[in-house]
Amino acid sequence: MKGVRRIGGPRRHRQVAGWLLGFLFVLVSGACSDTPSQAFRFGLASAPLNLDPRYATDATSARINRLLYRRLVDFDETFRPVPALATWKQVNPRHYRFFLNAGPGRTFHDGTRLTAYDVKATYESILDPTQASPLRGSLQVIDRIEARSDEIIDFYLTQPDPLFPRLLGVGILPRRLLVQRHPFHARPVGSGPFAFQAKPDDNRLQLVRVQDGRRFEFLRIPDPTVRALKLLAGEIDMVQNDLPPEIVSYLARTPALRIQRIPGTTFTYLGFNLRDPVTRHLALRQAIAYAIDREAIIASILGGAARLAHSILPPYHWAGHPALQGYRYDPEKARSLLAGLDKNVSRSLTYKTSSDPFRLRVATIIQDQLAKIGLHVEVRSYDWGTFYGDIKAGRFQLYSLSWVGVKTPDIFSYAFHSRSIPPHGANRGRYHSPLADRLIEEAEAAQSLEEKQKLYRRLQEHLLATLPYVPLWYEDHVFVARKEIQGYVMAPDGNYDGLQQVYRSVRAVQE
Amino acid sequence: MKRLGVPGGILLAWIITGIAGPLLPLTPNAIDLSHVLQSGDAHAWLGYDDLGRPIADRLVIGARTSLLVACGVVGISMVLGSVLGAVGGYLGGWIDHLLVRVIDVFLAFPGILLAIALAGVMGPGLDNVVIALSAVGWVGYARLARAQVLSIKTRDHVMAAVAVGASRSRIVLRHLLPLVSAPLLVEASFGLAGVVVAEAGLSFLGLGVQPPIASWGSMIRDGTRYMLVAPHMVIAPGIALFLVVLAINLLGDWLRDWLDVRSRS
Amino acid sequence: MFWQVVFRRVISAGGVVVGVVCLVFVLLHLVPGDPVDVMLGEYARPADKEALRRALGLHQPLPRQLAQYLERVLHGDFGTSIYSGRPIGQLLWERIPATAELGCAALGLALLLAFPLGILAAVYRNSLVDVAAMSFSLLGVSIPNFWLGPMVILVGAVWLGWFPVSGREGLLSLVLPAVTLGTALAAILARMIRSSLLDVLSEDFIRTARAKGAAEWMVILRHGVRNALLPVTTLVGLQLGSLLGGAVITETVFAWPGIGSLVVEAIQRRDYPVVQAAVLVIALAYVLVNLVTDVLYAWIDPRVRFEREP
Repeated sequence: MKGVRRIGGPRRHRQVAGWLLGFLFVLVSGACSDTPSQAFRFGLASAPLNLDPRYATDATSARINRLLYRRLVDFDETFRPVPALATWKQVNPRHYRFFLNAGPGRTFHDGTRLTAYDVKATYESILDPTQASPLRGSLQVIDRIEARSDEIIDFYLTQPDPLFPRLLGVGILPRRLLVQRHPFHARPVGSGPFAFQAKPDDNRLQLVRVQDGRRFEFLRIPDPTVRALKLLAGEIDMVQNDLPPEIVSYLARTPALRIQRIPGTTFTYLGFNLRDPVTRHLALRQAIAYAIDREAIIASILGGAARLAHSILPPYHWAGHPALQGYRYDPEKARSLLAGLDKNVSRSLTYKTSSDPFRLRVATIIQDQLAKIGLHVEVRSYDWGTFYGDIKAGRFQLYSLSWVGVKTPDIFSYAFHSRSIPPHGANRGRYHSPLADRLIEEAEAAQSLEEKQKLYRRLQEHLLATLPYVPLWYEDHVFVARKEIQGYVMAPDGNYDGLQQVYRSVRAVQE
Repeated sequence: MKRLGVPGGILLAWIITGIAGPLLPLTPNAIDLSHVLQSGDAHAWLGYDDLGRPIADRLVIGARTSLLVACGVVGISMVLGSVLGAVGGYLGGWIDHLLVRVIDVFLAFPGILLAIALAGVMGPGLDNVVIALSAVGWVGYARLARAQVLSIKTRDHVMAAVAVGASRSRIVLRHLLPLVSAPLLVEASFGLAGVVVAEAGLSFLGLGVQPPIASWGSMIRDGTRYMLVAPHMVIAPGIALFLVVLAINLLGDWLRDWLDVRSRS
Repeated sequence: MFWQVVFRRVISAGGVVVGVVCLVFVLLHLVPGDPVDVMLGEYARPADKEALRRALGLHQPLPRQLAQYLERVLHGDFGTSIYSGRPIGQLLWERIPATAELGCAALGLALLLAFPLGILAAVYRNSLVDVAAMSFSLLGVSIPNFWLGPMVILVGAVWLGWFPVSGREGLLSLVLPAVTLGTALAAILARMIRSSLLDVLSEDFIRTARAKGAAEWMVILRHGVRNALLPVTTLVGLQLGSLLGGAVITETVFAWPGIGSLVVEAIQRRDYPVVQAAVLVIALAYVLVNLVTDVLYAWIDPRVRFEREP
């Protein structure tokens, strides 16, 4: 301290102090209440990457696109196709005729009417190789499409397919705009229950519910804690999934909030790159499968809100395999498998995951469990879009991801057939098994459900034995909302269709 | 000297835990899923984190992380910076001119921003954190050393050394740097606090240590995710970090005053 | 004389700008390893790598790349984002207002806090008020903002419910990030104001003013504070850099859509052209502000015009 004389006594400065303290007080206070917006606000962990149903492959986009567009066909609880925009009849095994319903969804958001010509234009654009749609591969069976009138459309197939309508779950786009190469990904126009209003930035998407003009805002809030805090503070009205169980139980104890749960079909797995010099060894993949204590992870980190999985399809799916025996936690067996592996194969792996804290937490546990059998794992986490881009492009050694909303056994062809290696499909690990290819082809060609079921079950046994994926679990869905939000119905695939019935209860607000 | 008691104790504790950490019977990475987010018990007196790891053990390893990075960065940037600055100041001419320009350019960046960008571009990892922070940190020492050398290079003993034909490197290292070391030490003591915070900040952003290694910054990041249900997770590393920074700042103040007094008397 | 100073400052700032552009360029090129490897991550296909290398112009000799980069930046062309495919200039332009808003709010808040605290501490030197103010100051510089931010959210948004948790929606949402970012600056400034006020208050003209019978608070505000303003201005200019740096973390904590959070997002997305451009823009803003401060300073205080760097 420098030698400055003390200046003046306290009495002389009382007025200064009073003046300044008053000033400080004005600074510190100064909060006023905000007028609540009447829009429904929905918190998302990741933003939809593409609002064009022909290109969307991430779960959030698929769920939002279900709100924006309508499909010819939907699925019931046992994953069998049921009419949506259209009913159908099989004229012969290679010819299906669809009749558009009079019901809702026949008017596009731009006011024009949805006709069979729009359906034709949509599917032809997907089948157009220059459009490079990832869905094209799964629709190869379509030979040609003919619109007979505004209401009737015929699909001709290259080979008989008794379950063909299952493939027509893509949202229908207006032909008028398709011709103009309208940027649907940025300004979607469909005939769904919700119409696009604005996308002010990467983190916000505004839709309008067509039936009553209510506004819905989807907000990207990557951090789960922040999402929970915003729910507590009333800045958002509802969220679905992507919350750690501890936070969910905390929110459940909050009087202002309400929780709904439902068992889900979201399949989480560990994927391998089968061209990689390390992960191509089956013994190593098997060792990893034995080394992961899935039951302990589900019990602790998932709060019990998941069920063990042995295959992409749940056992109650018509093509599922209820008798499938998965890998039980057995570190001893894992160690002996590793011991038998060639000494020159590296024991180090890189594990890619999204930067979502929950996924990172799971990755750290798996890292620890693999360390116990002598595998060194480096965890790399990236922003969701970047991570997903890496996976789609095959830039990984080991990763974890989920399949969301799988409805049909076509997933096997899409994910494991050797012709589905990107960009032709989602065989991102470059799995190549002649037996799997043959089983997939035979199952697709089979004419009876029983025959298909038998072949798909053999295929699932083969996949579990050769381990292109280590199946982990099916995650439950949890929906958390403010008390006054009513009417939301959850779906096993975790879609957001329940938003069609959501309303704000006046009584709950007044309480 | 009384002022030094508490902060000195904190710093000593930091240094000792940092050095002795690996020798202690700790289990900072032992995941125990039956203890997730539990509060303290006999085994882990500060409670467990989101993976059931003992927070106290992780704090000790976090202390080691921050100590290693702080000493590494301050050491590298002080040596590099003061040698460059002293050489520039002593030689003058175009070398000095170039040095001044380079320093100006580096000073045009907010330091932590440049470090974040560098660490981000190089990829995560402690070694890259040290490189990024040193690349930013040397500038302050260079500027200070240069200014100090400029003010003393015409002193008698330096001139005498020149006269007896001492080499330039000998003059800089033996005659100039020791004389200017006091202000550099003060700068280094404050720099230490800055680096501790910067490492934690980089780890907080996910650019520093990678799982499962502990850093106070990554512990704070993980802790904020559970602050509603397990506030101990964010409070413990926050207080540890705060205490160390506070102690370094207090010691820096004291060191500056002490050197100030000494140089005046 | 004044215009000479301005001219010299502008020229040297121009040199710094060129240096800054070069350093940012080097940032992407001197890092260990191939930038293309880092951008595409491990296990990239050679064809993809080659395509990106060409897209970034990395196949050309380094000096040529630097020259091209300089030329493009001078034309305001920062390239396109690898992640979103949008022009980077546009991305930056959307983010700048938010950062400017947060920076000004934090600076304003820091000044509003620091002046009363610094003045009280100086006037009641060695009293309880002084101890309290200086303790606040010490705490303020020692609390990292990434810890303060979550704590402030917990108190201000969750417990009290006065402010939004995060995001940029209306004036209220500005308060918590501004507090988080401004606290450290307030702490430094309060300390500075206290010590410069102590220096000033002991000088003769203050005693004269008092002797004339001016009200005490008038004396302090009109004479004391006004004379303490000059060193404070300098300090604010110098601290602006750490304010901008702190904005990176604060914006991330509060999901504030500014340049700082853009840097972190771009790093997470391995979108290095965006990182490069954002860092460049922040540095340029900093150079510009310092230039303006220098010139203003020279204009306010004629003595500065004769000072030169040693």
